[in-house]
Amino acid sequence: MKDLIFLTYSEIKTKLNDGSLKSADLVSAYIKRIEGTDSKVKAFLEFNKERILKQAEESDNRRKSGKLLSEFDGIPIGIKDNICITGEITSCSSKILENFRSPYDASVIQRLKEKGFVFFPRLNMDEFAMGSSTENSAYQTTRNPFDTSRIPGGSSGGSAAAVAASMLPVSLGSDTGGSIRQPAALCGIWGLKPTYGRVSRYGLIAYASSLDQIGPFSNDLQGISDLMEIISGLDHKDQTTAKVNPFEASSVSSVDWKGKRIGVMKSEEFNFSPDVNKRYTEILKELESKGATLVPLDFSLLKYAIPVYYLIATAECSSNLSRFDGIRYGLRKEGAGKLEDLYSESRTAGFGPEVKRRILLGTFSLSSGYYDAYYGKAQKARVLIRKQYAEFFKTVDIIFQPTSPTTAFKVGEKTKDPIQMYQADILTTSVNLAGVPAISCPAGLDSNGLPIGLQITSSHFDETKLLSYAKSTSELEICKLVLPSEIT
Amino acid sequence: MDEKELKNIAHLAKLNIEDTEVSSMLNDFSRIVQYVDEIKNLDTTSVGDDEIYEQIFYELRKDFAENGLKRDDLAKIAPSYENGYIVVPKVIET
Repeated sequence: MKDLIFLTYSEIKTKLNDGSLKSADLVSAYIKRIEGTDSKVKAFLEFNKERILKQAEESDNRRKSGKLLSEFDGIPIGIKDNICITGEITSCSSKILENFRSPYDASVIQRLKEKGFVFFPRLNMDEFAMGSSTENSAYQTTRNPFDTSRIPGGSSGGSAAAVAASMLPVSLGSDTGGSIRQPAALCGIWGLKPTYGRVSRYGLIAYASSLDQIGPFSNDLQGISDLMEIISGLDHKDQTTAKVNPFEASSVSSVDWKGKRIGVMKSEEFNFSPDVNKRYTEILKELESKGATLVPLDFSLLKYAIPVYYLIATAECSSNLSRFDGIRYGLRKEGAGKLEDLYSESRTAGFGPEVKRRILLGTFSLSSGYYDAYYGKAQKARVLIRKQYAEFFKTVDIIFQPTSPTTAFKVGEKTKDPIQMYQADILTTSVNLAGVPAISCPAGLDSNGLPIGLQITSSHFDETKLLSYAKSTSELEICKLVLPSEIT
Repeated sequence: MDEKELKNIAHLAKLNIEDTEVSSMLNDFSRIVQYVDEIKNLDTTSVGDDEIYEQIFYELRKDFAENGLKRDDLAKIAPSYENGYIVVPKVIET
């Protein structure tokens, strides 16, 4: 029999429902895996065996007494450390929230609880989701399960690494500029950023509110579809959730490539590592041989995406993170005894260097004399990027790009230079700025045995089309899932 | 950007900068500002001010009362709490 930890999400769901697998047995196998492996991967900031196992036992009891909450009852799920669960610490991998125990559930957690999922908090991340490698965590750097001398991507590095290391079948992360798709790509699994407004942000500790979305990671596509169906939808606690037709997992079906118009990058714009370039070219050739038409798109606006992203995201973060003042919750440093000192002493002690950098940049671009040239200008540039995507989808059905210009880099390789680190998100940030949905799919390994990710992007609220193309892509021989069986 | 300006921004952001950090922060900051300066080359004259807000949905919730967070739960997460109040340092200078 296949070791339980290597079951796919779909196999787990089937076995739990046909009675051949107990949630407690599955969860025990994952706990054993985490205990044996996480000292190398460092995906978890904390995990409380007793509390996790208790949830699984409760699920098994519900199943025994015929009081099952749903067909998902008993499925384990990992949670990024910025999504609130009642009674659990939610620290955003920051010292300022080191002891913050959430008094409420995020809306996504509430929806998953109603279905009976078993929660595995807390997965490591870059502090306040600011970073592309998890090296900005105040506690630990998560390692890539394919090569533990390398980073797993970020900011949701713990969520991606836990699934890739077979410590969990699915997890939740958040994506502001690529924080789900880039780690999914670097860890060789699926990770989806929903359309802005598709999933409630209530209970997601805010970084940049106009860009943030919660989304799933999974070791198969059914996990992505199922989680999207459960977590998405209108929520009166988040005014920016959209009143649109709900996404249904059953709406996803394979596409016939014949006659499909696929938006691609122009070959002169392939500034990727040679292996990423080669694999992207191979995939496009294969789609062409199946009858699809490749349509080169003008991505020249893309070079502005990172500057625009940094101006907007940091402006929003300087505002959002002003709530951490040492008064009502979080770290408090008394300072010189005056209120003003308490604010600045608490914030100076509680935030790490990258968070401070971004707060300062955001404060600068919003400050008198600079607002129009920076924040105001970036807002207008964002409109142009959004319009560019609308134009794209008038001429193509879907867009295919690599998710990341390179595969996983070494720990420490880019920490000295913030701008080099920012470049890791060159292909993902424009998607957040436009608000459209995108998924990173596994696309084989490079010559060093490291995963390559393929980013598929569709138009607003068309997750059905997005996942249908992802499904057909996963059926290509060169895009099959490969996970490391041994972690060294 | 000079030291005075950096310290002013830090003051607005309620962050302290140690004297030993100033030069490396100024260096990082100047490079990042130089990098984002690239957007000045983009022509945005075609974009109207009102277009910026296009994407927001605003589905207003119904006006009804519901149970929110309890005071006792909030007391548990406050750094200092007494008799129903969060304790802060003296605000009024004498």
